[in-house]
Amino acid sequence: MKPGMDLPNALMTKLFENSTEAMFFFDSAGKALAMNPAAENIVDKDILKMLYQGNPLALCGTCRGYTSETELRTCLNCYFNTPDSEDFTSYQVYLETKDKGIVPYAASFHTIDFENDIRVFMLRDLTRQFKTQEKFYQNKMMKHIIEAQEKERKRISRELHDSVAQELMSAVIDLRVLKYMTDDEQLLKKVKHTEVSMTRLLNDIRNLSVELRPAALDDLGLDAAFRSHFKRMEQSYGLMIEYETQLAEKRYESEIETVMYRVCQEALLNALKYAQVDTVKVSLTEKDGVLRLLIEDEGVGFHPGDEPSGTGLGLYGMQERAELVGGTFSVDSGIDRGTRILLQIPVGLAQGKE
Amino acid sequence: MNKVDYQLELDQIREALGYDFLSLALAEPAEYDYVIRWKYASGNTNDRFKRIVLQSGRGIAGIIFKTGKPFLLSSVQKHVKPDTLFTFPIIKMENLNSIVAVPMWNDARVAGVLLGGFRGERQVTDDMLRDLEAVARKGIGDLNGKDLLLN
Repeated sequence: MKPGMDLPNALMTKLFENSTEAMFFFDSAGKALAMNPAAENIVDKDILKMLYQGNPLALCGTCRGYTSETELRTCLNCYFNTPDSEDFTSYQVYLETKDKGIVPYAASFHTIDFENDIRVFMLRDLTRQFKTQEKFYQNKMMKHIIEAQEKERKRISRELHDSVAQELMSAVIDLRVLKYMTDDEQLLKKVKHTEVSMTRLLNDIRNLSVELRPAALDDLGLDAAFRSHFKRMEQSYGLMIEYETQLAEKRYESEIETVMYRVCQEALLNALKYAQVDTVKVSLTEKDGVLRLLIEDEGVGFHPGDEPSGTGLGLYGMQERAELVGGTFSVDSGIDRGTRILLQIPVGLAQGKE
Repeated sequence: MNKVDYQLELDQIREALGYDFLSLALAEPAEYDYVIRWKYASGNTNDRFKRIVLQSGRGIAGIIFKTGKPFLLSSVQKHVKPDTLFTFPIIKMENLNSIVAVPMWNDARVAGVLLGGFRGERQVTDDMLRDLEAVARKGIGDLNGKDLLLN
């Protein structure tokens, strides 16, 4: 610091020169008196010129409206015309920047020199804060969505299984009894056909129920649900699954079981769709208080980060689900070296519950 | 009931119509809940697809079982997206590229599905679909092929 300069002045100069906050100084006519480097960096060259020339509408060339109580971006009651109004001590404004497009800023516009009526317009970039907020909001929403989806699936699945399928079952039994009540060959043949159709319908309904959410998952636990799911995968798609398991407990928390099951389901479906394999290895183990699910195939693999062949939401969804119960999720794959999906969820008591 | 030789009939039909692959899906007896499976095949490379349990309304055979309408897919490569191919396991397992499937009627009910296919460049045409339907209408084994009960 140069001697002879008093400290506040020196600091103010530094603030003006080096702050990332953009500062514009205007006189009462709307002519720009000064701008700090951060401000000059935001504004397009032509508009910069117009600002210094004192075109009162120059700022409009870069301003894209401020956020009012009723609108996200509006020009109604522009802040520029009414400085020092209560509304504009702190507000949000959008500017068209030189190289980053439209950026949201936290702004303030107030008079700093009452004698000469000089106002300062200060801007702080909100992009990062917005992104963090959005991400946070997204995570929260995702959790709610997954929860709601599971709940609703469970309800419909139960309804199908306990009430619709049961009713149908009794109807099928009634039909079977018919054959002891008549000798009419033709009638019996017809009844037989109906019985076949209804039995098939019954199976369809059971399948639907299981696909929505297997009752085994709630009633018998992970291991049973896995085994019956694998059997269905083999029966429906011919996909063979080599299953290995070593669990310390029969049951875990319902949320954890759901995450395990859904991630496994999604991973197998991915293998089936994209890996071009007919065998997949699944291992489910618990060691040192960590539940570990490993799904491995020796298929074509993919390059992580490449444009996904599907929606790309599957992997994202698995990640989300893992985070939901404080677990970790990783995908290891490469072209021609298969895919390994690992899900680890702490279940130890030490983990504790809030 | 005398045992009918479905296998022999299928081999003969395949030879007559020139398909690379021909298979017949039938419903299992009551003990197996009448599930539908590919029971007989001619020109198959393995028996894996016979393990598959077909659900009515799903997959080729399932849709035909439910609707009674024939199904023609002239080119798998052109008309099936790779990520939906898994819903047709038989195509994948037998490496088929062009398939046709018709319902096998018995006493006005769909009792089975007859599927023919090619592995190479050759494609199924509408005429071939008609020929296969004509064969199905004549009946195979115990299935009489009648789609209307006229008595």
